Amino acid sequence: MDLLLQVVRWEVWIFLLALAGTVAFQLLTGRINTTNLLSRKLGGSRGDISPERVQLLATTLGAAFYYVMQAAAAAKSGKLPDVPETWPAVMGGSNLIYLGGKAYARFFANSDSK
Amino acid sequence: MDRAFEILALVTGSVLCLLVGGFGFLILWEIWVGNIDLSKLISEPTGDASMSRFQLLVFTFVIALSLFLVVVATQEVPNIPGTVLTLLGISGSSYLVSKGIQFSDPAGITSARGQDIVVSPGKISVGYGQKQQFTAQVPNKPGAAVKWLVLAGDGTIDQTGLYVAPPPPSPPLPSGTGAHATIQVTTDAFPDAYDLAVVTLV
Repeated sequence: MDLLLQVVRWEVWIFLLALAGTVAFQLLTGRINTTNLLSRKLGGSRGDISPERVQLLATTLGAAFYYVMQAAAAAKSGKLPDVPETWPAVMGGSNLIYLGGKAYARFFANSDSK
Repeated sequence: MDRAFEILALVTGSVLCLLVGGFGFLILWEIWVGNIDLSKLISEPTGDASMSRFQLLVFTFVIALSLFLVVVATQEVPNIPGTVLTLLGISGSSYLVSKGIQFSDPAGITSARGQDIVVSPGKISVGYGQKQQFTAQVPNKPGAAVKWLVLAGDGTIDQTGLYVAPPPPSPPLPSGTGAHATIQVTTDAFPDAYDLAVVTLV
């Protein structure tokens, strides 16, 4: 029975890693569409690189990487690592900047589409 | 009796083990051969990629991998800390608000990259038996190869975009009842994109 548990464990582990690897590979090679991921989609400067999107991307990847490292280190303790209380504020702030930029482009910037 | 239960448990476990592995392998295989298409995994209906969707995707993988790491180590399903749920909530709410802002503007439901292929001229009159050169531009991939096709009506077009109108009909059509031809141009660079030109035969 222990052998079966080990096999299932490896199956799920390999599946999750292979799926994450496949998605990452397809994102990096362009098979998953990333067109205009970092571009403004509204307003007069539509199509330009958007700093608020770039900062959100950096914050997201940084937070994700840090959390996986924490989880790997804390796995034996039997619980998911708690994130520092400043994190929701940082991620909330980052998302707020992103939404603020989007709202500004929508409601205040000159739109060439109107 | 205990021995029988042990054998039953072993057989059931083996079958489940095979099923889990089989499903996992099948999903990965279908992705690799292209039957499960992930190309629009983080795309919006406009064709542009969405930052909010990307963030949700990253967080989903992070939580799934972290959860699995802990389950493997302890063989128990752990509690998910409130702050982690808060982070997921922020991400999900941000996605909703972001889409609300974007789709409140008609410009938000069209691609920021504009039209992928443009034919010129888009509308023209051509005499029977005459020739007309059409050109196509692919603004987001200059120099990309294009394909020409007479979608409806008479006449022929070669792959350089040179349209040759049919010979005059006999007997001639009554005045004001000129025939039309519709020309379509496509490009492999953007498989979903096309543009049309309408020819009025005079």
